[in-house]
Amino acid sequence: MAEGLGNRLLEHRTERGLTQAALAALVGVSRKTINTVENGVFVPSTLLALKIARALGRPVEEIFFLDG
Amino acid sequence: MAQISDVEMADRLSRRRSRVIPLLALLFISGQAMYFGNVVAEPMRNVDAVRIGAWLVWALALLLLLATGGGLFRSKSVRALMEDDVTVENRRRGIAFGFWTAMLTAVALYPLSMVEDLSAREAIHIILTFGIGAALLRFAVLERRALRDG
Repeated sequence: MAEGLGNRLLEHRTERGLTQAALAALVGVSRKTINTVENGVFVPSTLLALKIARALGRPVEEIFFLDG
Repeated sequence: MAQISDVEMADRLSRRRSRVIPLLALLFISGQAMYFGNVVAEPMRNVDAVRIGAWLVWALALLLLLATGGGLFRSKSVRALMEDDVTVENRRRGIAFGFWTAMLTAVALYPLSMVEDLSAREAIHIILTFGIGAALLRFAVLERRALRDG
């Protein structure tokens, strides 16, 4: 069975009280990128995943995980 | 007037781009009818040369838009946000789709040229139109999908 990349981005973002646009500004990407990563439409690069984790103050493996 | 952030500005411009690009692509494709509706007489008249030249400039402008994503007159930071990972990936997929559309159009024109008198200029015109049009449409659809809230 194929494995995909799952994420708990929405959960961690709302926990921090951040909008998609606010998180995008912290990471230095567009809101569209946060939106597509959050919805699983776009698989982020390692660099982007690490930047998101840093912005949320969480280890990357808490936000992203292998799904399936 | 309140200053809007670079992220908001990039978001607005990306939305506008995803709305404008399909219109430009459809206009470009529908321009085919105008081109083939006016048969170019030999020897070519000045008006025909201008029309063909204008079409080529249009095609090159759309290729430039496809290659850069537009926003050339915006600040570096806004441009960087408009050209982030998702957009680059969407454009790559759009260009690949345009390439295969152009190849299939060329393949379809090959046997057609045996039964229909087709000049090199007409064949290039058709291949470019479908290739560029398909790439732009695919790019715009992917961008709209990415911009959809969810």
